Amino acid sequence: MAKSDQPALLQGTLELLILHALGRGPMHGYAIAQTIHLLSDEVLKVEEGSLYPALYRLELDGAVSSSWGVSENNRKAKFYEITRRGRKLIAAQQETWSRLSSAVDRVLAR
Amino acid sequence: MAKWWKKLSRRGRLEQDLAAELEFHREMAGVNGGTIPLGNAGLIQEEIYDAWRFNGIENLWRDLSYAARGLWRSKGFALSALLSLGLGIGVNTAMFSLAVEFLLSQPSVREAERVVYIRVGGGSHAEPRVVEIFNQSGVFEGVVGENDEPAINWNDGTETKPIFATQGTKNYFQVLGVPVALGRGWTVSDLDDVVVLQHRFWMRHFNGDRGVLGKTMVLNGRAYTVLGVLPEGHRTLMGFGYSPDVFVPQFVEGTNLAIYARLKPGMGLGEAKAALVTITARLRDEFKDQNRYRSPGEMTPVGGIARLQQERQALTIAAFFLVLLVLVGLVLLIACVNVAGMLLARASARTQEIAIRLSLGASRGRLFQQLLAESMLLATVGTAVGFAMAMMMVKLIAAIPLPIPIPIRLHVEPDWRVVAYAAALAVAATLASGLAPAWQTVKDSLAADLRKERRLRLRRGLVVAQVAVSFVVLVTGALFLRSLMQSASLSPGFDVRMTARAAAHMPPGAYAAKGRMWAYSERAVQELAALPGVEAAAAARIIPFNDATSHGLNITFPDTGEKRQVRYHWNAVTPDYFKAMSIPVSAGRVFVERDGSGPRVVVVNRTFVRKFLHDRQAVGAKFSFDGGMREVVGVVEGTKVMTMGEEAQPQMYEPLERAADGRTKMHFVVKSATPPGGQLRAMREALRRVEPSAGLEVATMYNSMGLAMLPSQVGAILMGAIGLVGLLLASIGLYGVLAYAVARRTREIGIRMAIGATAPQICAMVLSDAGWMVVIGSGIGLAVAMLVTEPLSMFLVPGLSPKDPASFVAVAVVLGASALLAALGPVRRAVGIDPMKALRWE
Repeated sequence: MAKSDQPALLQGTLELLILHALGRGPMHGYAIAQTIHLLSDEVLKVEEGSLYPALYRLELDGAVSSSWGVSENNRKAKFYEITRRGRKLIAAQQETWSRLSSAVDRVLAR
Repeated sequence: MAKWWKKLSRRGRLEQDLAAELEFHREMAGVNGGTIPLGNAGLIQEEIYDAWRFNGIENLWRDLSYAARGLWRSKGFALSALLSLGLGIGVNTAMFSLAVEFLLSQPSVREAERVVYIRVGGGSHAEPRVVEIFNQSGVFEGVVGENDEPAINWNDGTETKPIFATQGTKNYFQVLGVPVALGRGWTVSDLDDVVVLQHRFWMRHFNGDRGVLGKTMVLNGRAYTVLGVLPEGHRTLMGFGYSPDVFVPQFVEGTNLAIYARLKPGMGLGEAKAALVTITARLRDEFKDQNRYRSPGEMTPVGGIARLQQERQALTIAAFFLVLLVLVGLVLLIACVNVAGMLLARASARTQEIAIRLSLGASRGRLFQQLLAESMLLATVGTAVGFAMAMMMVKLIAAIPLPIPIPIRLHVEPDWRVVAYAAALAVAATLASGLAPAWQTVKDSLAADLRKERRLRLRRGLVVAQVAVSFVVLVTGALFLRSLMQSASLSPGFDVRMTARAAAHMPPGAYAAKGRMWAYSERAVQELAALPGVEAAAAARIIPFNDATSHGLNITFPDTGEKRQVRYHWNAVTPDYFKAMSIPVSAGRVFVERDGSGPRVVVVNRTFVRKFLHDRQAVGAKFSFDGGMREVVGVVEGTKVMTMGEEAQPQMYEPLERAADGRTKMHFVVKSATPPGGQLRAMREALRRVEPSAGLEVATMYNSMGLAMLPSQVGAILMGAIGLVGLLLASIGLYGVLAYAVARRTREIGIRMAIGATAPQICAMVLSDAGWMVVIGSGIGLAVAMLVTEPLSMFLVPGLSPKDPASFVAVAVVLGASALLAALGPVRRAVGIDPMKALRWE
């Protein structure tokens, strides 16, 4: 694995966000980044440097599948689609995330 | 698995796909007016490749091709390393495959694991009736009898000569399932007069003619029909490479047979052994008058290591091979140390490269792996070279005709065991030669100043170890050589220079009648004695070193009634035997003609007197055993019986005329006034005049004693050769280290010369460097050799200690001399250093 300054939590979170975005339907990499950006009210910005490695990891794990298609502006683009395995992963990770975030909230509230 | 498949299927496209995807991403960002990301595409690539590629394997591949290119560039190094490893691995593989073939081979029968060898009554062979009883018991799928001993007389149209035959029962081929290359084996419905040929015999005497089937061969005066030919790699039940010339159905009535049984499918050895107890009980009932079936039977598998249990000598043979394997293992170690030394020297040239790579962020593990890849490549190619060398060596060894009167053929083929052994050697060689240098290189590459000194110290240590190991290997070789020399000077107790011997195999049918053999022997001795130049001729049942018969029984002394258990070697001879063999008579007389009738007399040797007669007056002593009373009329000096190295054995001789057993083989010995080689033809003709149908073997005594010399000869040659290979490799190692040390000290030597050091002083400096390594190595080697050569005493002639000082001194001298030789080149280079050039060096 490459050296990464991001803690494991954030990496896992990015994957959760990607899967969630793909839950709305197949889309290419740029669209995924845009979706996350918009859904987070332009707070979260996903760099390609972390987006693509995460996508390839997910594909290797079988959580997403990919195929080449044509984009809205008639360009050849690679589209990602969530798989059954990916949907299961969302459920599990969402659960983990909500436990974690509420725990962090509780700590900070005191 | 799914991941592997995904990785594999996408392997080729991965790079373009990713590039296209990133390109699209940037384009989109540009189109949408966002900032165009300037992230490091290379980094993304690396991160994704890490996950999507087979890193371990692809790195290994890269390392190997890098190492191959490196080795190609320094051909001298690669060649000498490959030669060292190839030699070491080749010698090892050759010895291993010989040992496997000799000790572990399976006989050529169907499902050999279900075939067992059975001993009953404590003897190796039993009456044919016993085989029948075993068959009738129905316990086994089938039981066969076999006798490997007989020579059968073959008349090839011009001459009658004895050839080696294995007699088998009628069900032999059916029960054992012996594969046949041509034709077929005999079955129960075949006639008695059929013969199956061994491949070698067929090739040699019938030129491999396929039309031989159905032809006839005259064996023992009868026409036998050739039924089949065995395949080339046929291995007999007896094993140890024994390969007779022909197989025939039992042709001598009442020949005792070795019993082999095929277990029923699913029958375990334990179950079979239990059944054996019941059958031996039946044998006891049927052979009430004989005591021989009282002892319980034994059962051993015919293949693999279990077979060795039935042969007492096998343990010595196995031990011999073990010593050989250990020695060649040590030679390989020396070879590996050589390669390690060379790798260390190479590593010092690569220190800069490695330091740069480390500072650029390469991990030490990665560099370590890369350095090991080089020695792995060397070891693998070395193993291939060694394997080829081994197969050549083995073919060569197996093709050498052994100077023994028994047909031995080893069929050595590389099987999975040999290949596995060679592979294991390759791994061991990789680790032994590569680990230390790679470790040292990676560890030292950042500590700039100390590294060279420490590396040299490691290399010196390696050379010291090499010298020590060579010392041990050389001492072993030297001990075997000394043993060979000493056994040549040992006397067998009879004359071997001026004597010749003959063996006559009579057609069994015609000579079964009582007295026929004696009548023949008497006439034959007369004919031989009448030959010009012959001083004495005699007939004997046994010629020492060719065969032996030992008896163990109880004797009773009539004067005191004392009983004593004795064991001695027996022989029956005509009166002139002692004269013909030059065996000195120390008391009393030898046989005379009247001993053929009247009271039975014996001649014994001094060991017999010392062991069994004690304070009795030897000549005139009387004792009785199963055949009645015997009187000792003479005492002679002893002879060796089977080997040069054996201790003095008690011996007893009887007049040949009184020894009426059914044996139809007779030996003759002739003492000649002229060199006996010239008598052989005349002897053959004389014997042929007496009985034209006899199968004859005639040879000088010296030549027919090959068997006695064989173990020490073969041992000395093999061990000596191994010792020399070890010495050669160690000298190369020493040379390498000295040359390197001189090169490294060029500047220092230059300065010394500039301030007035003389050539002899420089010379002494380099020599003392070498001297120390050799002295310390020899010291360690000496101590180790003292400890480990002890078990060798079982192979050495008695009286030669494994700590034989002469051998140790010789080895020390040889090592010192070759060290001096190895130092010669470096010394010359050191003395020839030009101070001015040296100071500008580096």
